[in-house]
Amino acid sequence: MANTTALIFGLNKYALEIQTNVKAKYDRVKIYALDGQEISGQSVECELFDLSDEWSEIEKDIEVENSIAFCALEDSAENIFLTISLRAHFEELIIIAIASNNESANKLKMAGANKVIPLVETTADIISNVLEKPISNKVLHSILYEESALKIEQVKITNAEYFKDQPISDIDWRRYKRIVILSVMYEDMSHEFIYASKLKKYIINDGDILVVVGFQRDIEDFKKLIGSN
Amino acid sequence: MIKRLILDVAYFLNASKAYQAKKLFIYNILENDKNKYKKYIDILMISLIFISVSVLIREVKFHVNDYLLFFSNYVISIIFFVEYMLRLWVSSSVSAIIVAQSEHDTFLSRDIRLLKAFREVFNVKMKYMLSIRAIIDLLAVLPFFHELRLLRTFILFRIFKLFRYAKSFQTFSGVLATKKFEFITLAMFASIVIFVSSVLIYVMEANNPNSPINTLFEAVYWSIVTISTVGYGDVTPVTTEGRFVAMVVITSGIAVLAFTTSLVVSAFTEKLDEIKEVKSIEDITKLQNYYLICGYESIAKELARKLKKSTHEIIVLDSDQTRVQSAKSDGFIAMNYSSGSVESYKKLNIDIKKEVKAVLCLREDDIENVYTALTIRSMDKDVFVLSLLMKDSNRKKLEFAGVNHIVYPQELIGLITKELVGQPAAFEVIHQLRSEYTNVDIDEIALTTRIVENFPTIGSLGNKKYKVIVLGVFKGDSDKFYFNPIDSTLLENGDYLLAVGYKIFISEFEKSLHIKAKNG
Repeated sequence: MANTTALIFGLNKYALEIQTNVKAKYDRVKIYALDGQEISGQSVECELFDLSDEWSEIEKDIEVENSIAFCALEDSAENIFLTISLRAHFEELIIIAIASNNESANKLKMAGANKVIPLVETTADIISNVLEKPISNKVLHSILYEESALKIEQVKITNAEYFKDQPISDIDWRRYKRIVILSVMYEDMSHEFIYASKLKKYIINDGDILVVVGFQRDIEDFKKLIGSN
Repeated sequence: MIKRLILDVAYFLNASKAYQAKKLFIYNILENDKNKYKKYIDILMISLIFISVSVLIREVKFHVNDYLLFFSNYVISIIFFVEYMLRLWVSSSVSAIIVAQSEHDTFLSRDIRLLKAFREVFNVKMKYMLSIRAIIDLLAVLPFFHELRLLRTFILFRIFKLFRYAKSFQTFSGVLATKKFEFITLAMFASIVIFVSSVLIYVMEANNPNSPINTLFEAVYWSIVTISTVGYGDVTPVTTEGRFVAMVVITSGIAVLAFTTSLVVSAFTEKLDEIKEVKSIEDITKLQNYYLICGYESIAKELARKLKKSTHEIIVLDSDQTRVQSAKSDGFIAMNYSSGSVESYKKLNIDIKKEVKAVLCLREDDIENVYTALTIRSMDKDVFVLSLLMKDSNRKKLEFAGVNHIVYPQELIGLITKELVGQPAAFEVIHQLRSEYTNVDIDEIALTTRIVENFPTIGSLGNKKYKVIVLGVFKGDSDKFYFNPIDSTLLENGDYLLAVGYKIFISEFEKSLHIKAKNG
């Protein structure tokens, strides 16, 4: 049984929020603080670390391939340095970094982060959506983040024969079992919108992942049809 | 009997909505810079001024077409006269003065003194008529009596009317007026120098047969030409004493010129910020349906950029001068005013109810945002207010202050992380739909009566042809979202389609709905 670990670097409001939201998903969540002073007065358990490239203690403690690291240091330069250090030492580790803006986000990507969340741009995007597209924002927000009957899910195909080698553009997705297919994800995790011209003649294979929106029961029915686990 | 009639008419006019509306309309098109028709009236008047001056210039040496002369002398004069009378009419309310006097006297249980009211009316109307602008307006009408040759030159007074229509003239005179004392001092100094030098040069030169200065008028002319540093050279002193006076006048002239220049420059330098602010306030008053951003920090900066890209009008208010400068350099109308003060909105002529689409409290400080939200709510109960929240413990306070939508970045990061580790592909898809940097988009298409008449059901929309997914329909009347509705679902006016697809295809799809609607 894999021992999954989430490593959160930084002890601040964002780190604590991440901890709250990922603790159900991982066996262990470990918070690392850069400064000893940050730890005092905190109710959460955390350990000290420094940026001196000494990762052996952590390496011994985790299974890298089943772990994820969140780089959430407040200082952009330190956060980038941390990300590059982690990437240099752990090639397989999934690293998610918080960036204060787009400029830091680009540097964090260059430093090897798998995914970067630019705080300012993300917040501005959300506000812009609230103002410009209130309905779609409400619907997407409830699908993604709230306990809504409507869900968005990744469905892995293990019974591609069901589609009888039909090209993707010939399948009437809109009526398909009361779900809406938004995109197709390949094995390398890249994905294409369902109506992308690249997918015109594409025939669905086992292992492809469909991103679908629908009600929970309809998604479950769809999963059974295409043999998804 | 007459008294009763006058009072009845005054009360009737004062209470008549139709009369007051017409008077307000006339006032607005003549005096209110915010009125959308005023600029057309101004342009018309300026054109008339130039036409009549052009005719005057042409008439000096050439024959001018009789119709044009008639137009210049009579039609334009009549238009200016009508304008003059309208301005006189809207400058104050006669009926209001009579009604106020009547109410006052009735309250004190004494006879209504109409004569006093008429005196008051006479005073306020005369006050207007004796104002510089009104006098210029009246003189501009005089060329109507062009048969009197002298009165014809009054056409030139029409030029002065330009002051009324061109804002820059008013700004210029307003700036110079701030240095009134200095200009008076300078004028006094120049007058004394001119007077003394004129007398001196006359005394020195008048009796010399070779001197061109023979009269006091010639002496004054020489003085003014010399002190102004123009120096035509047509009149020059020939005696040694006269030349000595000339040296003194020339030296004084340099001082006068330098002093005048420095006065004008310093007046403009001192007033530059004020002029810019007045200009910005004027720009604000012209705007309609804009976003009011209170506080210009990092999130506000990014959001303003996004909204500007979608061609939305934005006004930034911030009490910090550095942030205001930053907003200005980013190309926004930004004012150094506190968003938490009602006075700021009054000074800026911001009508929250009529002009503001949404108020965005984007200081990264909950105290400031609560304060701003409460200020806005004290002025208007309905405007949409969105606020940033920096500490969750302050959420209730923002809600209590009347904020409609709270954005808590910390919570967003948590939710995004949760989705990212749980369903990365699904998250990426939604993120792409929301992001401005991708080709795929989710759009809201409002359905009008005409669209619904042509496309009564979901099945009739033909979205598949445009490679657009209709994720669902939002029914405005029931405030409910119907996901993936069946083909026979009826569409209604006021519904919104949530369309997912490539931006260009969504746009084509939306166009197709409107084109069919138009053809229909």
